[in-house]
Amino acid sequence: MTEFLQTFRLGWHVVVRNWMVYRKDFFANISPTLADPALILGSLGLGLSGYVGEIDGMSYAQFLAPGMIATTALFTSFFESSYGFYVRMTFESVFKAMLTTPIGVREVVLGEFMWVFVRAGLMAFGVSLVLLALGLLPNPMALLICPIIAGFLSLPCAAIGLLAASWVRNINQFQTVYSFLIAPIFYLSGVFFPVAEKSALGVIVQFSPFYHGVKLIQFTVWGKFPIQEILWHATALIAFTLLMCGISFNRIGKKLTT
Amino acid sequence: MSSAPIISARGVAKRFGDFEALASLDLVVRAGECVGLLGPNGAGKSTFIGCLYGVVLRTGGDLEVFGYDPAKNAREIKKRIGVVPQENALDEGLTVLENMRIYARFSGIDRKSADLRITALLQDMSLETKRDSPIKTLSGGMKRRLTFVRALLANPELLILDEPTTGLDPSVRHLLWEKVTDLRAEGKTILVTTHYMHEAEVLCDRVFIMDKGKVVGVGAPKELIAKEAPGFVGIFPADSEVKLRPHLNGAWEFFQQGHNSCVRAPRFDDLIELQKTTGVSALQLRPTNLEDVYLKLTGSELKEHD
Repeated sequence: MTEFLQTFRLGWHVVVRNWMVYRKDFFANISPTLADPALILGSLGLGLSGYVGEIDGMSYAQFLAPGMIATTALFTSFFESSYGFYVRMTFESVFKAMLTTPIGVREVVLGEFMWVFVRAGLMAFGVSLVLLALGLLPNPMALLICPIIAGFLSLPCAAIGLLAASWVRNINQFQTVYSFLIAPIFYLSGVFFPVAEKSALGVIVQFSPFYHGVKLIQFTVWGKFPIQEILWHATALIAFTLLMCGISFNRIGKKLTT
Repeated sequence: MSSAPIISARGVAKRFGDFEALASLDLVVRAGECVGLLGPNGAGKSTFIGCLYGVVLRTGGDLEVFGYDPAKNAREIKKRIGVVPQENALDEGLTVLENMRIYARFSGIDRKSADLRITALLQDMSLETKRDSPIKTLSGGMKRRLTFVRALLANPELLILDEPTTGLDPSVRHLLWEKVTDLRAEGKTILVTTHYMHEAEVLCDRVFIMDKGKVVGVGAPKELIAKEAPGFVGIFPADSEVKLRPHLNGAWEFFQQGHNSCVRAPRFDDLIELQKTTGVSALQLRPTNLEDVYLKLTGSELKEHD
């Protein structure tokens, strides 16, 4: 237990370090995180609502709104743990210096996961506030619950980023990962349209942690609580989180030590 | 030397696939010593340094630092060492103070103690006026001095310097040598890797000359020079070999250094006489140094960027 607490404490120091660097360009850093969902909501949600008609008794903007919280978690965590981690590892040699201190590889990776959890949670809270202001958050409790779900959703998404960071040979190759993995996940996981469960896509998206996070956030925002479905999506999200974080931990561990 | 070993390596080896970075390295560093690892890039110096605190996992041999195996107890070791890595790896967007506070936190130093320690070390390195300056505004020499400050934050017992003065101008190099000498006087144990033979001669009690993952010579700089390459060296122009060769004494040594022809003789007067006899003026006459030892032991020229 003492060892775990020490690891947690050292991992938290990594979070503090990242925050100190992040806050130097705070507005530049949060702009895309908040602007992208706002643009999607404005252009697609409000723009198309009049044409699309209702989905499950909701306007298109209402349907789209929870997906923006999930999207924030996806992009915040993926970009932070792919480009951000790669830059810290390769160009800034931050970890080489960090690893000369009592911080080890375990704490570095734990710290990175904790950092994306906190960042995604805070960004999700910001987006939820915007949704509340726009009248697109019918369940006010979602303001508190969604950031927590977004935090957990950010973990497997960050694991994808870390795995990519451990595989790519140069920074441009992240574009390939984005185009062929992140973009399809983003567009096809139920953010923009309801996925029919018995369709082929409905089966495929079960293997996407993002889909399960989207569903949990949708239920929370819409104030719907089908227990069995929530349990299924929560279990799947936790399972993906454990599996993918474990794999990425091993990969990054090998990358940081030789 | 009877003090306790701080570092004890027996047959330490590291392979990267087919490449043997370290081949059965034996080395003991005792408390209070300053030991140098010399050799060109690729000699295995930094690989060994990495093995000491667990970022490089050895593939053979036994290694203990403060009695701990770095592969199993790296954290216990890292609590007691300070490292100046090859790259400064400072956070460019943060100020000097912010950088140092982060690393003090990593080392478990509370804020109040950290600020006192940082202030003292910045003064010692003549950086106190840069306390609130962003790293990106510092010169290369200032960044290197700050990396020393970072390594000293936790008042380490063992200081590991990985090519500490590479690329620095002579004034900063001399300043850092002075600081290292002071740290030695305080009783700290120091392990330094360097390309610069003169640096090793100035700083180190003992040196290990490494080449291609192997130790090819060990000893105190003066002893090594006296044993392996005693005497004086004359450096002659490139086209002088034909004129020099017939006049060389059997005990003398002839070798090439770059394009120049070099002669090592036991006495300074031997080289003066050689100039008179051959009519060839030396470009330089000097006592032998560690670089000559290196050349003799490895049979190759020492290059900074091999």
